[in-house]
Amino acid sequence: MTIIRQLPDNLVNQIAAGEVIENPAAAIKELVENSIDAGAGCISVTLRQAGKSLMVIEDDGIGMSSDDLKLCLSRHATSKMLDDDLLNIGSLGFRGEALPSIASVSRLEIQSRAQGEGDAWIITAKAGAIADISPSSIRQGTRITVKDLFYATPARLKFLKSDQAEMMIIKETLNRLAMAYPDIEMRCEHDDKKTFHYRSETLLERISSVMGRDFQSNAMPIESEVEGVRLSGFASLPTYSRGNARAQYLFVNGRPVKDKLLMGVLRGAYMDVLPRDRYPLVALFVDLEQTEVDVNVHPAKSEVRFKKPMIIRNLIFHGIQNALREHAKTSAGLLPNQTVHFQTKIAQAPKVNYALPEMDFKPQARIAEETQIFPIVDEVESNDITPDYPLGSALAQFHENYIVSQTKDGIVIVDQHAAHERLVYERMKDNYAQSGVKKQILLVPEIVNLSQDHVLMILEHQSLLNDVGVVLEAFGEGAIIVREVPAILADRLNIQDMIKNLADEVEDIGTVDRVTEKINYLLATMACHGSVRSGRRLNQSEMNELLRQMEETPLSGQCNHGRPTMISLSLDDVEKLFKRR
Amino acid sequence: MKLTIDRADLMRALSHVQSVVERRNTIPILANVRMDAENGMLTLTATDMDLEMKESVAADVQTEGAITAPAHTFHDIVRKLPDDSKVDLTLEPGGSMMTVTAGRSQFKLSCLPVSDFPELGSTDMEITLAIPANDLRELIDRTRFAMSNDETRYYLNGIYFHAADANGVAVLRAVATDGHRLAQFEMPLPEGGVDMPGVIIPRKAVAEIRKLVEEAADTISIQLSENKIRFEFDHIVMTSKLIDGTFPDYQKVIPQGNDKIVEIDPKIFTSAIDRVSTISNEKTRAVKLAINGGTMTLSAQSPDAGSATEDIEISNDNTDLEIGFNSRYLLDITAQIESDGCRLTLADAGGPTIIQDTSDSSSLYVLMPLRV
Repeated sequence: MTIIRQLPDNLVNQIAAGEVIENPAAAIKELVENSIDAGAGCISVTLRQAGKSLMVIEDDGIGMSSDDLKLCLSRHATSKMLDDDLLNIGSLGFRGEALPSIASVSRLEIQSRAQGEGDAWIITAKAGAIADISPSSIRQGTRITVKDLFYATPARLKFLKSDQAEMMIIKETLNRLAMAYPDIEMRCEHDDKKTFHYRSETLLERISSVMGRDFQSNAMPIESEVEGVRLSGFASLPTYSRGNARAQYLFVNGRPVKDKLLMGVLRGAYMDVLPRDRYPLVALFVDLEQTEVDVNVHPAKSEVRFKKPMIIRNLIFHGIQNALREHAKTSAGLLPNQTVHFQTKIAQAPKVNYALPEMDFKPQARIAEETQIFPIVDEVESNDITPDYPLGSALAQFHENYIVSQTKDGIVIVDQHAAHERLVYERMKDNYAQSGVKKQILLVPEIVNLSQDHVLMILEHQSLLNDVGVVLEAFGEGAIIVREVPAILADRLNIQDMIKNLADEVEDIGTVDRVTEKINYLLATMACHGSVRSGRRLNQSEMNELLRQMEETPLSGQCNHGRPTMISLSLDDVEKLFKRR
Repeated sequence: MKLTIDRADLMRALSHVQSVVERRNTIPILANVRMDAENGMLTLTATDMDLEMKESVAADVQTEGAITAPAHTFHDIVRKLPDDSKVDLTLEPGGSMMTVTAGRSQFKLSCLPVSDFPELGSTDMEITLAIPANDLRELIDRTRFAMSNDETRYYLNGIYFHAADANGVAVLRAVATDGHRLAQFEMPLPEGGVDMPGVIIPRKAVAEIRKLVEEAADTISIQLSENKIRFEFDHIVMTSKLIDGTFPDYQKVIPQGNDKIVEIDPKIFTSAIDRVSTISNEKTRAVKLAINGGTMTLSAQSPDAGSATEDIEISNDNTDLEIGFNSRYLLDITAQIESDGCRLTLADAGGPTIIQDTSDSSSLYVLMPLRV
């Protein structure tokens, strides 16, 4: 008597379904991906009870013939993978697992009419039992109806979350796909209510549809290419950030993926312009040779493996840094919702103006210069001077903290303290880098106990750490010995904490930026004390000098804490405020 | 309780004890000073639960008794009274108010009963040694600058006092280190010290006893137990908890094989370091010493401020070496050297350097270089 037997196909499919179809969102993802692979121009998703009782996915793609329909429900049958090469996958799906998996746990109905054919067909399956196909009537494309998902696997059904929670996951899943294919129109309805309707639009428009309209006016385009790897997409300006990392999307060859690499790189790239607890919004697209990336890693295909992760890392890091540098020189735009804010401010302004006692002209030599402010304004009105500097020439200082400057096509308002703080900070960082890292050698080397995994992870970054001033070595099993620390931090450093946090950082996001962050934080504090405070009066040439320095300094558009250092207001904006337009 | 006391006597004692009282307290009674009047003496006590200061002064006690009153307020009041006034302290019936009267001024302070006041000083102390006030002062001064501020290495937040053997002579040795430098000072072991355990005296106790030593008579009696130390002289008794930890084996970090010896006039050395370091980065404070034959060239650089160099004359047996230090650490040490000779014993640019007074072997300093 044998004790080992082959499992029946039905059970095999249910087991596979457990891996591929984890929740309604996973089923929807597979089906919508099929529609995308079928070249659909419009995909609509209709759901009841977050897809638990009903999901209908309808597209206008190439459709399936009657023969295709018969085959599509059997395992590992697919229209994709034409050259049978797992290392070269160009479509979203490839394993031929999704449909049979869904069919094995639900009541499934597929209607389809292939491109150029007159007849439509329907095939049904109940918990994996496939019925014969019969004629049907729909337009070109495919409509898949899934009823009572997981009714064949009651255990799974019990572990589903509430409708609301499942719907959140579905929406997130669809949004990811929507951003990857902005030219496909996508609709989603849930319990007869519209969840979203994205029309065919440009990439930036689609991303903004998903992330919020403000994204469009606060996004910087990212473009770069290295060794055949292309990076494109959009990232938010530092002044537009969120308190969590949810709005950070990465797409590899059009496939939405989750990769912890992204969060680490973004933190590094935005390190100096965003506080630690703020996160930029990004949607980045990496396109590379199919052979350079393995998408067959995860059953739900939400993870990929790169052959050369360092290239991708550096590409994203430098792509964003370059964009930041470029954009920092122009100024942060005025958000649409701030315009309203601004109007109320203007209404109050005159009152305050009269109350300014400092405006009295004091009998000082320098006053001669200050009175110049007003004649310049007059000249400007007659359009005699057109300042050529990007940040224009200073007109006046108000409330002893803000500089108003006239540019070619508008005005710029600069927060003098925030701006000068950034200038001093950048100079200090420069100096620190130039003078070389000085290391305090420890009299009593510090031994830090860690898990052996952490030890190995940290040791991988030994030379990087050495460059920033931390000299350490392995100290037997599960411990690290720290011999030297950066001199600038020497008398305020808790070595144990630093190394432990470093281990967590390496594990989470694979970087060791913490030491540099600590040093920069110290420099930032020094910069704050060493910069022009608000309340300090500046004369014309001092103000102009500040503007010129800002133009030359990278990242001068934000202060060290990520706040904008300046706001620009175009002449158009001003005219709108006065209802001239 | 009712008594009369000279303002000057009260002021002196009160100043001593109130400095133990923290400005902010979660336990209300710790903000108070305890007063015990009996046998013609007023005894003032203040504590923060780790450190207790007790001082007695003569007073004209009419009714014996005890109470506690807010220490800082009471101290401020007494401080503002005229110099040669007499102060009357009277506990009101009911015990919740104390009246302070001097001349035509009168204050009423709200009080808390003595029963709630924590007692720290009553344990038996097994070891007693007597030590000249001047010696105690030097033990502290020569080492306290090297104490660590790092709360996580609490066992370095104080000075380690212990009996040791220095080339066959029994000594009392004080050691402090913060992991970057180490300072050690020793004196002949006072009588009764043979059995003393090694103890770590916490930072606050070090600071308080150092202030009192200035006013001390000739000899201070030190008593020790497992976890407490008590200093006693004149009418003052200070009791402190000890740091409950093991001081690291400091002997291991004092290098034995350093063979390059350089001698310098400490005054010239100190002022040269001070001048040159004006240039260096305000946080790192790095200075470089280039030793070459009979000359040491001190230099500092900063991309912001520029650079500085200064040559000084040294006596040297053919050493050729470049080494960097944190100038602040270096100055802390050279400030301790009072004679006209300072000896650096070096190994290389990455190893610990020993600094000593050429005419005084009782102190020794170890400093780790900066890698520049």
